[in-house]
Amino acid sequence: MTTATLSRWDRFRDSFLWYSFKRDKVAIVSFLVLLLMVLAAIFAPLLAPTDPYDLALINIMNSEMPPLGMEGADPAFPLGTDSQGRDMLSTILYGTRVSLLIGFGAVVLQATLGIVLGLLAGYLGGRVDSLLMRIADVQLSFSTLMVAIIVGAVFKASFGNLMFGEIAIYMLIFIIGIAEWPQIARTVRASVLAEKKKEYVDAAKVMGFRTNRIMFRHILPNTLSPIFVIATVQIANAIISEAALSFLGLGMPETQPSLGSLIKSGFDYIQSGSWWITLFPGLVLVVLVLVINLLGDWLRDVMNPRLYKG
Amino acid sequence: MKSDTPLLEVKDLDVRFAVRGGDLTALRGISFSLDKGERLGLVGESGAGKSVAAFSILNLIASPGYIAGGQILFEGRDLAAMSERELRKIRGNRIAMIFQDPMMTLNPVLKIGTQMVEAIKAHRRISTKAARDIALDKLRKVQIPSPEKRLDQYPHELSGGMRQRVIIAIALLLDPEIIVADEPTTALDVTIQAEIMALLLDLCEQENVALMLITHDLGVVSQVTQRMLVMYSGRIIEQGPTREIINDAQHPYTQGLINALPQMGEPGARLFQIPGSMPSLKNVPSGCPFHPRCNFATDQCRQTMPEYVHSGNVDVACYEVSNLIEQEKRMQEAGS
Amino acid sequence: MLAFLVQRISQAVLVMFVISVIAFAIQDGLGDPLQQMVGMSVSLEDREALRDELGLNDSMVVQYLRFAGNAVQGDLGTSYFYGKPTLEVISEHLPATLELVIGSSLIIMLLSVPIGVYAAIRPQALMAKLFMGVSTVGISIPVFLTAIVLIQIYSIGVTVAWFPVDTGWGQWLNGALSTEGGLPSYGRGDELTHLFGTWYSGFFSKNGLLHLVLPCVSLASIMLPLFIRLIRAEMMEVLQSDYIRYARAKGLSAVRINFLHALKNTMLPVITVGGVQIGVMVAYTILTETVFQWPGVGLMFLEAITRSDIPLIVAYLMVVGLIFVITNTLVDLVYGLVNPTVKLTGKKA
Repeated sequence: MTTATLSRWDRFRDSFLWYSFKRDKVAIVSFLVLLLMVLAAIFAPLLAPTDPYDLALINIMNSEMPPLGMEGADPAFPLGTDSQGRDMLSTILYGTRVSLLIGFGAVVLQATLGIVLGLLAGYLGGRVDSLLMRIADVQLSFSTLMVAIIVGAVFKASFGNLMFGEIAIYMLIFIIGIAEWPQIARTVRASVLAEKKKEYVDAAKVMGFRTNRIMFRHILPNTLSPIFVIATVQIANAIISEAALSFLGLGMPETQPSLGSLIKSGFDYIQSGSWWITLFPGLVLVVLVLVINLLGDWLRDVMNPRLYKG
Repeated sequence: MKSDTPLLEVKDLDVRFAVRGGDLTALRGISFSLDKGERLGLVGESGAGKSVAAFSILNLIASPGYIAGGQILFEGRDLAAMSERELRKIRGNRIAMIFQDPMMTLNPVLKIGTQMVEAIKAHRRISTKAARDIALDKLRKVQIPSPEKRLDQYPHELSGGMRQRVIIAIALLLDPEIIVADEPTTALDVTIQAEIMALLLDLCEQENVALMLITHDLGVVSQVTQRMLVMYSGRIIEQGPTREIINDAQHPYTQGLINALPQMGEPGARLFQIPGSMPSLKNVPSGCPFHPRCNFATDQCRQTMPEYVHSGNVDVACYEVSNLIEQEKRMQEAGS
Repeated sequence: MLAFLVQRISQAVLVMFVISVIAFAIQDGLGDPLQQMVGMSVSLEDREALRDELGLNDSMVVQYLRFAGNAVQGDLGTSYFYGKPTLEVISEHLPATLELVIGSSLIIMLLSVPIGVYAAIRPQALMAKLFMGVSTVGISIPVFLTAIVLIQIYSIGVTVAWFPVDTGWGQWLNGALSTEGGLPSYGRGDELTHLFGTWYSGFFSKNGLLHLVLPCVSLASIMLPLFIRLIRAEMMEVLQSDYIRYARAKGLSAVRINFLHALKNTMLPVITVGGVQIGVMVAYTILTETVFQWPGVGLMFLEAITRSDIPLIVAYLMVVGLIFVITNTLVDLVYGLVNPTVKLTGKKA
């Protein structure tokens, strides 16, 4: 008796994931909005009317112009300008790009770190486990945002303002990645400890596989499912962390604005009534984080085996 | 034998589950009755619907289950149609329940005493002290050593057997008319099972409490119950005096169940198994649900659900049985 | 119980040690203290002599031991900017932050339990869905943004003119949506009541309370939705358990089942998570204090970073580390006392 082998696409279409995605309007809308924002960010250079990084183009005389619909608006700057005369629309597009880059980058870093360290701690146990978990505990009790602030402060002071500004994106990815590895590591470690007891691990050991191979090719795939949910939410967290750091002055420099630093500069001018400098980047930030959170919620519900109720 | 007005009478009870894509029927029009002080066994494999039947009496089926039709008459009133407020007065008070796993049934963060006193005070206006006294009295009845200590302990501090004794004590607190016990010994060690079952039997006899015992264990049923009913795929296929059914089961399924008992086999021979398995709620066969696994299945079995026929003191729903009875009658008439 | 305390205290000491090492290492990496203390015009020999005097040429280990020894005695250095012992500076700023945290925690505790429980017992109700929707949006808004928006609405005031001003309903809608502002958004005000030592409280005067409103609401705004979601999720799971069904089978009232049987089990994991959130809250106070120029330790820390006031930075880290260690131990203790299945021998059942 032969069964036709389904292609990957067919299997995906048949899967519960796709089925439940199609039925969940919130998930669909969130995904579309996210896709839109990601595309806008990727094609920012093409879409933005001006290049906000080009210092030569910025004219301080243009500063604090209101968005279309209000007095004194200029169609060349549909969303108004910020305190330095940069076009809001362009800056927001580039800022979204920075946020997404840092968000994804930081999560990739923390996932890699977290998975590797979690595997090591769980599989090797003993002193390695104790040490790693002790560090994780200290980091977690400080809260990852605090750790990010401290590390950010130290780096900024060590590298100096100028140099920090030049490599800010990489610094931020590094800082947030380092601050957030414990959560993933803990989850992976818990999974590893559970899997270690299962028979297929004994079988692999008996067959003489090396530790590395057992860890990565046998145990790891079984621990990945909760990681997907966590990673999604962590992207949102990373974006907020970057915004917070930039707001505090420990993140992206003035010359490479991100949504967070835009909000900060807007705040400085809030008393003068230029609310658009804060509100528009703020709105974009909230929508971005919101749709990622919603997708994360949906993913968590889908992966939860208990939720088969009508 | 059976009195005119039974204590509990279930008529055509229909229980369904509302899931995506339509409702699934868990109980299809089942009917049975329970007299005062009578001990009734509900027997069947997992998935037959016996637990659903037990929980539906007090309308405690977990959502998305609901009672779709039928009546549950207790002392003349229909429990299926009662409001939650009215039902609450009966739960634990006139009809008590014993669940399967005592570790999951007792709230882990509350003391035993708290959980016993609250059961009493929910239905009687008496002081906490008086309630504690009643609790102590019942704890002694279930033969728990040092009952005063137990009241201040937490569930995890007691052994499995002791916890189930506490559950039995709680069931007896308000001197109910009926105790519905859902697999009361399944989660316990084998050595304790017999003790607990014997205790339950004794207490029911002493206090003249009716017992509805849900179990898959035919041995327990034969020792404890006076009448039994056998469930298959949401229907009662055979019901009557326990002795008669155990000694001479008529429905092919019941026969299969009894033959499958290790005691019935010969040493060294293969154990008997009914081929196939109980259909899930989604794949209920047409007509008699047992026909795919039945040696005697005919076309008639595949098409329509058989009605009950009376054979001896037993009610059976099976065409084979009804046909045999027809044959006998005709032979008798022909012979005379 | 004693064994538990001993174990936790020794753990705490270990953690403090790690934190002190990190703080010390940071101090080392944050720049040359000499540069802060004396100008450029001091000669090289004088500098070297100064270094020797200050012990900056000793080995790392010796310097650390000196640092740790001083710390244990309560001397965490002198702030460059304030010219006072760092602990003094910290103790002057700490009450402000504490009041901020207390105010927000009150809001969170008073609101999260009723809303979370309600959303769990009636998940299909419109109000419940509304609360949950707002909560999801709430956790997506960073705390500083909420603070700024609140300032705009309640401090500066918003004049809405979207609806036609020449109609009665237009004017009414405009008026209803506009705000005058007026709530203070800067600092703590000048009517603080002296309680003891360096603690000047804002809770006992109208002016002080007014100043507390916006900051506390901002800080609560990020944590409240989190707790609501948490309580709702935990409670919904608890409500599915066997012992809840059994409680119903005993004929207990819904109030007793929800608020005793279910709630007690729900709050246990909430306590654990709550403990972790304390750390998060401290980070958020830094953000909130920045927006409101609230003179607490968060703002102090940030200013210290900008000014490269290294002793103050290090002292802040040590103090915050100590606070975390103490609160985490307290949370574990409370959890052990409340959860009867946990034996306080240091092991969890």
